[in-house]
Parts: sequence; structure tokens; C-alpha cells
Amino acid sequence: MRKNTVMLLSVISMAALLAGGCANKEAVKKEEAVVPVVSAPKAEEAKPVEQAKTAEPVKEVQPAQSEVVSASTAQTPVQAPAESMFETIYFDFDKSDLRQDARDVLSKNAEAILKSMPGAKIQIAGHCDERGSAEYNLALGERRAKSAQKYLITLGVKAEDLSVISYGKEKPAVLGDDEAAWAKNRRDEFVVVK
Amino acid sequence: MKIFLLILFLFVFPSILSAQSGYIEVTAPVNRQLKLAVDSPRPLGASTGSESSTQVADVITFDMNMSGAVAAESRSLQTAAKGMSLADADFVPWQTAGFDMLVRSEYSLNGNQLTIEFHLFDVINRKLITAKRYLGKAKDLRRFSHSFADEILLAMTGERGAFATRIAYVSAQTGNKEIYVMDWDGHNPLPLTKNRSINMNPDFSPDGREIIFTSYKRGNPDLYRRALSSTAEIAVSARKWLNITGNWSPDGSRIALALSKDGDAEIYTLARDGSHPRRLTVNPALDLYPAWSPDGKQIAFVSDRLGKPQIFIMNADGGAVRRLTTSGSYNVNPRWSPKGDKIAYSRMTAGGFNIFTIATDGTSDNQLTSVGNNENPSWSEDGRFICFSSKRSGSSGIYVMRADGSGQTKVSKGNRVYFQPSWSAR
Repeated sequence: MRKNTVMLLSVISMAALLAGGCANKEAVKKEEAVVPVVSAPKAEEAKPVEQAKTAEPVKEVQPAQSEVVSASTAQTPVQAPAESMFETIYFDFDKSDLRQDARDVLSKNAEAILKSMPGAKIQIAGHCDERGSAEYNLALGERRAKSAQKYLITLGVKAEDLSVISYGKEKPAVLGDDEAAWAKNRRDEFVVVK
Repeated sequence: MKIFLLILFLFVFPSILSAQSGYIEVTAPVNRQLKLAVDSPRPLGASTGSESSTQVADVITFDMNMSGAVAAESRSLQTAAKGMSLADADFVPWQTAGFDMLVRSEYSLNGNQLTIEFHLFDVINRKLITAKRYLGKAKDLRRFSHSFADEILLAMTGERGAFATRIAYVSAQTGNKEIYVMDWDGHNPLPLTKNRSINMNPDFSPDGREIIFTSYKRGNPDLYRRALSSTAEIAVSARKWLNITGNWSPDGSRIALALSKDGDAEIYTLARDGSHPRRLTVNPALDLYPAWSPDGKQIAFVSDRLGKPQIFIMNADGGAVRRLTTSGSYNVNPRWSPKGDKIAYSRMTAGGFNIFTIATDGTSDNQLTSVGNNENPSWSEDGRFICFSSKRSGSSGIYVMRADGSGQTKVSKGNRVYFQPSWSAR
């Protein structure tokens, strides 16, 4: 009986399938879509909205975090050491506020800029460790760079001499998947640009 | 008897069900899965290339087994049948071997000119279900085979498959992160960008002809657009600071992305040429990774406005913001399902990233992967599959699974690390 039911159902199901579609032949011609090259890039800027986002350095020093562990290793080649006379500053995991050691370094960097090379154009590059998503880290790296930028401005460096870029986790300083490597990669680097 | 009627209903009205959320698994009555035999294609005339015949059967068998709708098998039986039309007696060996359906095909390959014809038979009823004939070049063989697999799914479920599609992804195999495309099953990988910079987050246009992506090729992370048939890369948005995580609107008219020109990452939409910016979020937090709903009325995105990255949904004009994910402390990479009912995303936990799906009302938060690091989910257009990048013990690459997490299969070839896959539309 069970077997018969199986057969009957199969028959009915096939009949249902057949009810919908009968044999139709279709000739498909190969055609590559040619998309015309469209308009030139637009670089128009909408009026920038000034964000009142806080840049005040926070007093507390975040303890090093190690609760998140990732098995992955960085894929991107290690960046060649930047020719820089400025010291790199470091951040805690998923943080962009400036630790005390970072603020000490920034004071030295500000002094170097103001005394030795007034008017030089400095780019601050924000970086992250390999944990976290690549996309979120792009935004986090930018936040780190802007933290340093704002602090340098409060120390007297001219805003127009400072630019900011984020590389997220795309350019690790060192390879490795332990806290020692991560700590070296959560950083801002300072480079003189033309 | 009730079960009998229900099953009957499922088979008679498959299209009604497939119009609802999710998809139906067509299974044989009681508990046996339908079995599909894929016979070796017959070369016609002076056709060349015997590897062609194995490719055709391999493609259809792989596609149909991945679908979960049937158990497919490449199988050849000695039958008296000549040509494509089968006499009643020709079905007997297939039926005896336990098959419910049969794909037969024949092709001619003259030089570069390919003609291939597929027939799908109902073995039990000894009838033709559907047939297709394709004309093209030799290199189209796999594509045509995928296309007929789409037809088989259409006949079985009332909804066409999405096997004749491609996946764009990022690979660092040259030492730089460049963008590539491959067939959805990992065949025919093709490099797109060759700028030796950092290229990220490709996203297919709804017509499948173009991608947008972020590149550092001119120093700043800018958003570019490029047709697959061209090498020209057109800057869509080169505004100050970040121009990242672009996602094409379902009608192709606008692009949602994150811009940080206002100081921190905010969600904007732009016209496809980058003009007419509309700001959707106004928040000192990081807002990024927008994902359009299939009706274009809503956008899911990542925001750390509550401290840690979580997924939120807003109307496409920026209104009615609500939090979607409430579990986990680090949820990113949202992608809206083509049916509109679910959002796939990745969550970071102590063990790494895993793919989840969650209903748009915040219920049914289901973990689909559990091994290694799994990121950047992207849906097939029929909603049947999710592709994602995975780095798991001993193996890494682009993986594909069914929308319920079953059938996790590595589709990229070799063992390189790949990132950020994006599935094309049909």
C-alpha cells in the first residue's frame, strides 16, 4: 500500500509539472552586453556638515583587551616601514580615544612639527589590527587618525597642515595573530607628504 | 490522508508556495528525495572535445545536488534510444535504476560553433517535461549547462534557478588585493582590476553588467564603477575621506554607500554617476555597509551608535531607524535576502566570525556556520543560496550554502584566501 502511494504521488506530481510546461525550443544567441562608458567622474561636494563629534582625549587608559581571538592571519603584505621622523601612537582594541602614552607621543610630534618643520604637510594614517570586519575597521582607522589630528591641532599644529587617511586592517605593521602583533597594528603613523 | 492531500497540494501548486517567503524543498512523497539522472551528452556528427560531455553532466549534477531539490547523478545506461525522443521502452532501464527524472542532451561542436540541446524527461510518466536548445561558442558550454539547470529548477519548483550567475570577489593572490569574477561554481576565474593598489567590496549592478568597488588606486579610498566588458574604471565618488561599502539599489538607479566627508562615516545615497547625494544618517557614530531591501524602500546598515557595531534598518529616506540585531556584541555585513524576509550578516564572537540570518522583525536569529571565520554573506538572486568567504581549518576560500546553512561547499579553487564575495543577479 505504501509503495503504491509512493508511485501514485510520483505520478501525480509529474502530471502537475507537465501541466505547466510543455516542450518549447528556444534559441539563445550569445550576446555580450556592451555597456557604454558613462559620464566623467563627478567630484562635486555637497556642503560639508561640521560634526560636533568629541575629540577630547579621554583620561582613562583602556586595559589591553584580548577577549576576541581570531584564527586568521593577515593576508596583506607588511607595509614597508614609513620614512618618518615621527613616532607612531597605539590604541586599544576597538578604541579610538588617545591613551596617555599616545598623548605623550603626540606632544613630542607636535613639538617636532612646530620647531623643526613649520609648514610641512603631515599625513596621519590610521590602522587597525586584523580582528573585526575590514569595512568597520576602515571607519575605525579613520576615527583613530582624526583623534590624533584633533589633538595635534589643540597643541598648536595648523589644521591645514594635517591630512588624514585610513587603511583599516589593510596594511599591518607586523604579521601575527596574537596580542603582541595586534597591539603593534592598532596605530596612527605620521608621514610628511609633499 | 491529510498528509497525502498536503503533499499533493505541494506538488500541484508549487508556484503558489514559491511566491511566499523562503523556498520549498521539493521532495518525493513520503521521505524519499527525487532522483535525477544526467545522461552523458551525445556528440553529433564530427564533434570534437570529449571533455565537453563530462563537463555538461558535471555542471548539471553539481547544480542540482547543491539545490537540495533532487539527488542528481551522472549516469549512462545502455539503451536502444537513438536521438532525443524516447520510446516508452527507453524509460524502463532508468526507472529500474530508481530514477524519477532524466536529463539527456546532444551537442555539436564544429570549430568554435556550439549547438546543444537538453531534454528533461519524467521517467515515471515517460514524458518530456521541458527542452531547450542553445547556440553559441565553445566557451559557453558550462553557461548553457547552468542555464538548463535553472530550467530544471523552474520545472520542479515553479521558480527558475540562479545557476547561470557569477560571483565577484577580492583575492590577494598577486600580493595586492584585486577584484576578480568567477562562475558561481568557481570555474572561469577572471581578474578584473590590475592596479596593484587595495581594491575592496565589489557589488554587482542589478543587471549584472557592472560592479562598483572601493579602490585606493589614486591614494584615497574612492568608489569606482566598471563594466565587466570594459577595463575603464570610472570614479563614482571621490569625496574627501572614506567612499566605501557601496551597494546598488534594486532598480540600479542609485548607490548607497558610506561617506565620511562630514567627519565620520555616514550613509548616503548617490545617483549612479555619483551626483545628487542624499544624506540618510546624522549621527556621531560610525554608520556604514548599507544594504537595500529588494523593494528599495528600506536600507539595513551597521552602526556603533550604541557602542558596538550592530545592524539597524531605516527607511530609504533615512527615517524610522530601528535596531535589528540584539544578540551578540559585534554584528556586521548585512545583506537583504531577495525575498525580503531575512537579512544575512556576520557576527564576531570569541571563536571568530559566523554567518547568521535574522528575520526583518528581529526574530528567527539563526546561526548558519560554526567553524572558523565566515564573513561577507551575499545572496543568490533566487534566495536559495548564500555565498561567503570562509577561513576554516585546512581550507579557505569562497563557500556557498543553502539559505538554511545546509550544504556548505567550497566553490573557489585552490586554497587561497578570498574576501568579500558578491553574487550577481541572473
